[in-house]
Amino acid sequence: MQTLYLAIAILALLAIVFGAILGFAAIRFKVDGDPIVDQIDSLLPQTQCGQCGHPGCKPYAQAIANGEAINRCPPGGETTIKALADLLDLEAIPLDAEHGSEAIRTIAYIREDECIGCTKCIQACPVDAILGAAKQMHTVIVDECTGCDLCLEPCPVDCIDMLPVEVTSASWHWQQPAQLIATSNLPYSRGESDHA
Amino acid sequence: MHKIWNFHGGVHPVENKTQSNQLPIIVMPIPTQLTMHLSQHIGKVAKAIVETGDYVLKGQLIACAQGVVSANVHAPSSGHVSAIADRTLPHQSALSGPCIVIDTDGKDQWATLTPTANPESLSKPDLLNLIQAAGITGMGGAGFPSAVKLQPKSNIHTLIINGAECEPYITADDRLMREYAAQIIAGIQLVQQLIDQPHCLIGIEDNKPEAVAALTYAADQHTNIEVCVIPTKYPSGGEKQLIEILTGKQVPHGGIPADIGMVCQNVGTVKAIFDAIILGQPLINRITTVTGKAAANAGNYEVLLGTQVTDILAFAKVDLAKTSRLVMGGPMMGFTIQDTHTPIIKSSNCILAAADLELAPVADHHACIRCGQCEVACPAQLLPQQLFWFAKAEEFEKAQDHNLSDCIECGACAWVCPSQIPLVQYYRYAKGRLKTINSEAQLAEASRLRFENREQRLVDEKLAKEEKRKARALTAAAAQAAKRAANPSAEDPIAAALARVNLKKQAQTNIAAQKSPEDEYKELKTAAAITRTKLNKTRKALTNAQAQDHEQAQELQQTVIALTTKASAAAAELHAYEVKLGLDPEKEKTLQLAVAKANGVVRKLEKSLATADDLQQLEAEIFNAKAIHEAAGLALEEHQANAKEKPTSTQES
Repeated sequence: MQTLYLAIAILALLAIVFGAILGFAAIRFKVDGDPIVDQIDSLLPQTQCGQCGHPGCKPYAQAIANGEAINRCPPGGETTIKALADLLDLEAIPLDAEHGSEAIRTIAYIREDECIGCTKCIQACPVDAILGAAKQMHTVIVDECTGCDLCLEPCPVDCIDMLPVEVTSASWHWQQPAQLIATSNLPYSRGESDHA
Repeated sequence: MHKIWNFHGGVHPVENKTQSNQLPIIVMPIPTQLTMHLSQHIGKVAKAIVETGDYVLKGQLIACAQGVVSANVHAPSSGHVSAIADRTLPHQSALSGPCIVIDTDGKDQWATLTPTANPESLSKPDLLNLIQAAGITGMGGAGFPSAVKLQPKSNIHTLIINGAECEPYITADDRLMREYAAQIIAGIQLVQQLIDQPHCLIGIEDNKPEAVAALTYAADQHTNIEVCVIPTKYPSGGEKQLIEILTGKQVPHGGIPADIGMVCQNVGTVKAIFDAIILGQPLINRITTVTGKAAANAGNYEVLLGTQVTDILAFAKVDLAKTSRLVMGGPMMGFTIQDTHTPIIKSSNCILAAADLELAPVADHHACIRCGQCEVACPAQLLPQQLFWFAKAEEFEKAQDHNLSDCIECGACAWVCPSQIPLVQYYRYAKGRLKTINSEAQLAEASRLRFENREQRLVDEKLAKEEKRKARALTAAAAQAAKRAANPSAEDPIAAALARVNLKKQAQTNIAAQKSPEDEYKELKTAAAITRTKLNKTRKALTNAQAQDHEQAQELQQTVIALTTKASAAAAELHAYEVKLGLDPEKEKTLQLAVAKANGVVRKLEKSLATADDLQQLEAEIFNAKAIHEAAGLALEEHQANAKEKPTSTQES
């Protein structure tokens, strides 16, 4: 009987000691904020377009952390869904068509001679990428534009165009070679090959 | 003899150099048109400083470097600028880029040059400025601005001069070293002067004995310049590979040669530095090899930059019908030219016009059999097979983890691949995608910051507005208090406001006091009527009271007497006023009665008309009655009109 009490006492003591260690660690190594939200946010394309139904990428990240579907971000497309699925250990699902489809990246351009300087687009831009003042012509800072389309709707004179991002010699890159199933073996001289 | 090391891997393709290295360099005549790209280098596009129609002299600066990593562009010959527009780039993508097109006039008139007689007197910044001004970029292939490369941050102990020219077919550097050995050595001395006299090693493959001899002879007097003969192996001319061959050291991953105290320059670049400093000539021409079985006059040509490929092909008598593939650069690393109007740029070292089967046809590739030959051949000691799988599966991050960025795209792996897999293209694809992913990530990060800053700003603005509102209210209250304190005799604003309201009311009453005579008449009439009604009521009450109680009856009797007096007074007043206004109520009453009577007669007659027998007589009677009624109505109207007019006239008078 004494052995039993001893065992209980030792276990209780151990529980108290480890509980104290855990309690101390919880305070000492406390992580501020929700790291998972930041991680999700870093995977989202940050267009701040609101197509997911949230007023920005961060709120959507928060919603995903609370269990919302990961397939509501058209600008991110399959790549983002895949990355989110990897992060959250979920299954990659196809893009929810209800929230839009994956399109090529565009950038807003203001037809400057038609702009009346109403500043409505400036207020709509989520990333402050439009420059201008009241009754002065506005222009889009192309490098900052995320192509979110949010400036189109408020424009009273419809002078904003969404144009696809042009490929320049700096942004151009090789395509993946076409995958062919080879059935023939053409004459091939080793000394004069070219694979470049 | 300097000790020579070896690098991992490498291949030995057939050299094919004798087709073009037998004849001396031929100076190509000035073409009719020169297309000068503003981006012949790595870095920012130069900015044009001439305009369409301008006359430019040979060697004149036509486009300025923008930022640190950029290079000047000069006019290669004299003539008029005919256009500043986009032209096809000498690039795999065959995209267009900004160009200055010069229509040459054949005079080839030089701009004023400033040669340097004694370069020893020049300071380091002077030398750097001259190199930068001359627009010199690496002539070996990458085209990195030399002035940037020649101001390393760390201490340089070894200068490597690259004369390896390891790629098959190309002999431009070979002929350059044979014919311009003295200039190359002088150029090396200038570079040594610029970067603290490092020891110089010139690396030349052993398949160029004439070049080795020429340079050894030229460098004979210089103890700190050493010519090193290295075994022929592709890609010994790669910067990192040459450094390993000559020094046994490896450039660290992600680093540059300067990190291990070395700087590497191509022989062509050194010659351009000599031209720029000693002769004062900017970089406007280069030696380009034209070779391949389709070229009748294969050889090396001194061409002006901006010369179109088509002009060079014509001059070298290239049979385009025989040409199966036209390649810019060598067979291992070059790219197919899609537009023959593409111009020569600072780094174009070769044009290869290959006839049928000279280069392997682009064949279907087979599955990877995991033979591992690519790993053996890779000079960068990477795992080409793994990189291939990752690129194919689009697992770019994993490819990055396997040091994809260290791949020099030499093509050795693809060359040895028994399945003929275009491995380099997979790596280029993966590199391109990684670049895109990284730039998108950067953009996303910037957007995120901008979005968060904006949100914060909006919140701050709201708070600031609220603060301001509060502050304004406080200031107003304080101002009021101060005002009151300064002038205590001044009445309370509320009392003042009330007084104002009272004044207004009074004014309104005064206006009401000045009643129109018509209103006054009405009032009098009402007052008379009221007293009359009161009198009647009291009389009734009196009759009732007399029947029951005497005491009350007496009281009532007195009231009746008083009311009677009042009523008669009111009536008298009304009558007096009526007389004053010239009204005759009695006459009006009589007339009204007459009208009513006439109306009654007409109605009665009309009723009887329904049942009567003698219609004609009745109708006549009705007619008469109607006439009487009408006349009475007219008389009444006339009287009323007169009465209305009169008070006005009374008031006027």
